Amino acid sequence: MLAALFLGSASLSPSLSWAASCCGGGGGATLLLPKFYQGMVDVSFDLEKYDGFWNQEGKYTPDPAGSDLRQYRLNIGAARRLSTKWQASVLIPYVWNVNKYASATHRTDGIGDMTLNVWYEALDDTSAWKIRDLKDLTPSIAIGPSLVIPTGISPYDGVPSDDVTGRGFYRLDGNIIISKTLHPWSASVALSYGSYLERPVNREVDYVPPYRKKLGDRSSASISLSYIYYLGSGGDALTGTASLSELREADTTLDGSQIDNSGLKKDSIGGTIAYSSTDHDWGIRAIWIHTLKQDGWGENFPATDIYTIGVNYGFR
Amino acid sequence: MGSVNMRWLLLLLIPIFLAGCTGMMDDLNPSGSDKQSAVQSGTVGSHVGQIAPDFTISDTLGTSVTLSSVLTGTAVNGVVLYFTMWCPSCDIHMSSMRSFQIPVFPNVRFYAVDYVSGTVTDARNSELSNGYEGSGFIVLADTVQTVLNLYHGTMGTTIVIDKTGTITMNEDYKDDRLTAALTSLP
Repeated sequence: MLAALFLGSASLSPSLSWAASCCGGGGGATLLLPKFYQGMVDVSFDLEKYDGFWNQEGKYTPDPAGSDLRQYRLNIGAARRLSTKWQASVLIPYVWNVNKYASATHRTDGIGDMTLNVWYEALDDTSAWKIRDLKDLTPSIAIGPSLVIPTGISPYDGVPSDDVTGRGFYRLDGNIIISKTLHPWSASVALSYGSYLERPVNREVDYVPPYRKKLGDRSSASISLSYIYYLGSGGDALTGTASLSELREADTTLDGSQIDNSGLKKDSIGGTIAYSSTDHDWGIRAIWIHTLKQDGWGENFPATDIYTIGVNYGFR
Repeated sequence: MGSVNMRWLLLLLIPIFLAGCTGMMDDLNPSGSDKQSAVQSGTVGSHVGQIAPDFTISDTLGTSVTLSSVLTGTAVNGVVLYFTMWCPSCDIHMSSMRSFQIPVFPNVRFYAVDYVSGTVTDARNSELSNGYEGSGFIVLADTVQTVLNLYHGTMGTTIVIDKTGTITMNEDYKDDRLTAALTSLP
């Protein structure tokens, strides 16, 4: 379950924010095509390293001695433009869990939960170079729904918790990304609100008396600031991004009854270095998402560091 | 355009197909029907209705704990085994038991089975750092996962065993179901 809890949070920023910058790209879950591109393929690899957790009072607690819990993810993403304003994308992760405890080591792998996105480009940032009048302050705005499909191995598939690669629930999100570029700076805000679909459960490690379960609504927000540095006069660019993200999930319900204190919270900071080629067809990025291992930066959630390297290619 | 759309459709269908092949279709189309299989009473095993497998392991204070001996003790109505890896969910469950079940069922022994710490000392340190000293739980150091394997447990598994040694509950922690199982103890 823990693993699954993190796959969701990893799809937040900074990749989300970075996706809203001038050059498209980003994690597959938030793949956003630049203007005039017909499609994009994105491949990234994550290492997520667990390092303690926050309890329900927000107190940071270290992992047991001898523990080394890691999840590796290979994310395959693809986006396609449907019309001038509409685009769609899909993310499919493959997950490896490598959990070492002082008492034993567990290794498992499997497909994770898949995500489908549809984006509508409501507004375009038409003045990325100079502000001459008020309308040049217009940001780009993309809005759209996403659907998480439980294709992963969940806690309801008859496996122990170390084998889990997904959460086992459908989730429908509404997303908005607002960004404004004024070279060499770019800023963005990404907001998301999602609701899990209630489902019946009749199996955990073994079959159990059936019940209905619904995870709490999930909200996330991220702000980011980027600086674009052009390499020579050819147009190749390096973009550095710093971000701050917040994730919340409300309490779970079982058979309609709320389970107190079962919600979660996580705050994280991130940094991204991205390279894009002159024509912007190719992009390479390295991302670090860090949680502060201190009281108050999370609740009911593991503290982790996520390291990502990724590459994307756009089709005109 | 047709071939492009077909490629997209295939891309979408591949993970769903793989999920189906690996037995994960339960999540795509979950069932609410009761599929628990009947067990033969009197057999030893981890299922509800079976006789709980006996074990002897050390608690975090170095005291040896034998399940069968605990159950034959005076003023003991039953035993709860809770499997913990000292995680956020484990803390929620254990906090809930500490508040709502341990004070209400004084004749039940509550054992937290630490199956991730490799030594009694490390299990004791985890008990202390997570704030469970004097909580009403007796923490068992399952240093080579003997009890975990006997009961096919995982994080959050909660097992209730009555005085006759019969398992009356074996599932993920749920407050109301645990209370019901403990209330039903003879």
